[in-house]
Amino acid sequence: MAQEFSIKRIGGFIYRDIVLLKSTIITGLSVTGGLLFIGFLFNLREDYHLTPNEFVSVFFKFYIPVGLLLCFTIFKEAHSQKTNQFYFSLPVSSYERIAAAWFTTSIIYTVVFTTFGFLVGQFAIVTGIVVSQANFHVVPIFSENYWKVVAFYFLIQPTFLLGAVTFSKNRIGKTLLSILLIVFGLVVYNFILFGVLNIGYEVFSGEKLASDAFDLTSNDFSGIGSWFWIIVLGIGILLATYYKITEKEA
Amino acid sequence: MVEINNLQFHYPKSRTILDNVSLDFTPGNIYGLFGKNGEGKSTLMKIIAGLLFPTAGNCYVLNEITSKRKVKSLKDIFIVSEDFELPSIKISTYEKINAPFYPKFSKNQFYDLIKEFKLSPDQKISTLSFGQKKKVFIAFGIATNTKLLLMDEPTNGLDIPSKSQFRKIMASAVDQGKCIIISTHQVRDLHSLINHVIILDQSKVVIDKPLSFISEHLWFGKPKHHDQDAVIYSEMTFGGKAVLYKQDKDETDIDLELLFNAVLSEPEQINNALNTAYHGARI
Repeated sequence: MAQEFSIKRIGGFIYRDIVLLKSTIITGLSVTGGLLFIGFLFNLREDYHLTPNEFVSVFFKFYIPVGLLLCFTIFKEAHSQKTNQFYFSLPVSSYERIAAAWFTTSIIYTVVFTTFGFLVGQFAIVTGIVVSQANFHVVPIFSENYWKVVAFYFLIQPTFLLGAVTFSKNRIGKTLLSILLIVFGLVVYNFILFGVLNIGYEVFSGEKLASDAFDLTSNDFSGIGSWFWIIVLGIGILLATYYKITEKEA
Repeated sequence: MVEINNLQFHYPKSRTILDNVSLDFTPGNIYGLFGKNGEGKSTLMKIIAGLLFPTAGNCYVLNEITSKRKVKSLKDIFIVSEDFELPSIKISTYEKINAPFYPKFSKNQFYDLIKEFKLSPDQKISTLSFGQKKKVFIAFGIATNTKLLLMDEPTNGLDIPSKSQFRKIMASAVDQGKCIIISTHQVRDLHSLINHVIILDQSKVVIDKPLSFISEHLWFGKPKHHDQDAVIYSEMTFGGKAVLYKQDKDETDIDLELLFNAVLSEPEQINNALNTAYHGARI
């Protein structure tokens, strides 16, 4: 095990991924930067002020999709027949490959994209000062909604990593379809369970039965509980991703 | 170093590619793995490198099952694959991002080889021709100094001067601790480089012998009139050259192409000749 997990190798693999994706990252950030800038300017137009919620409302529209696209891009090398032989023959264990991919697409990505969002927001404020009557203020990044968005991304991101490893072709479409089918299956299952509980045991008494059920479910999860599920679900899916990459042939 | 036991392999919904193959590869040798197109040479190389998993049987490299792709064994395996694509970065950057994974990588050796191949570390890989990219890949593979170096059709895409340059470089790269396996269907390219030949045909190993052993048992050349009954295989296209039982003749250089054709046409006779001890008269 000691030989199969080395922080130094993970660091090297992260560096390798970033170098190989450098031009993709630069192009992605340039496009996203332009769109973020327009979004922030649009929010500055009324009160000449970028509130924490306004920042998050623009930020999350790009933070989540770009992050999920990065998940697919990072495993591109593993699916191309011309590159995957070198990829899989590199002396890096499957644990390290998954750890590196997760760390890059979650922690590093979040830090970089938040910093980038902050800089673009600040640039939008300065532009607002130059072209209109905006006052200088520091972009408010950290708010409750920001952490909710980050938590949501951390919850769904491992699922997309799993999809990025599992599917060789039409990876984004197949991952979204799989998620849709799983969610649909869970909804049907919940409705059946809901019906059984309500008819048999009269758990829900009100007229708005479905919303009652959702309220009850939400109440059962404290903040710690939610994070607990994010961690358990995340680790579980990352483990599935590990097995998928282990059994992948070139 | 490499131990293959009763290996079988077939791709999904495909015929058997490798059938009950057992082989041993030992350090200090350069093996030539020959076979017609589609006979499983590349598949065998990929199985040895842990890139494909056997349908049945086992493949061990340095006592580790290759399909587990353990770091311990991957550190000592490098495969120069036939179909490859290198990233669009500088040669020096390529070295910088990949070399740290190979503990015995020699930076000096890599840049010496790059220089010998008339390339510059500052050249961007995407601007190179396929042959030049192959040279970068081969140089990197040699510089990793892994105990096992696998090369799948390494001379494909190389021009004529580069092929002889490749042979020279490979000859200097081998040492007692290394095992090199070169797979090709262009047998002439490996002349004077390999010291052990393995030929695959119809999913099986039809010959697996050191060249020294072959030259002790077979004779290559133009047969004289009284040699006709010792001829195993002959071909007009080789200027009347033939493969004969060696009998009491002097040893000759092995004509790999002739040997290859002879093995595919007359496998039983060739194997009989190789398995026959000759003591002055044909047995």
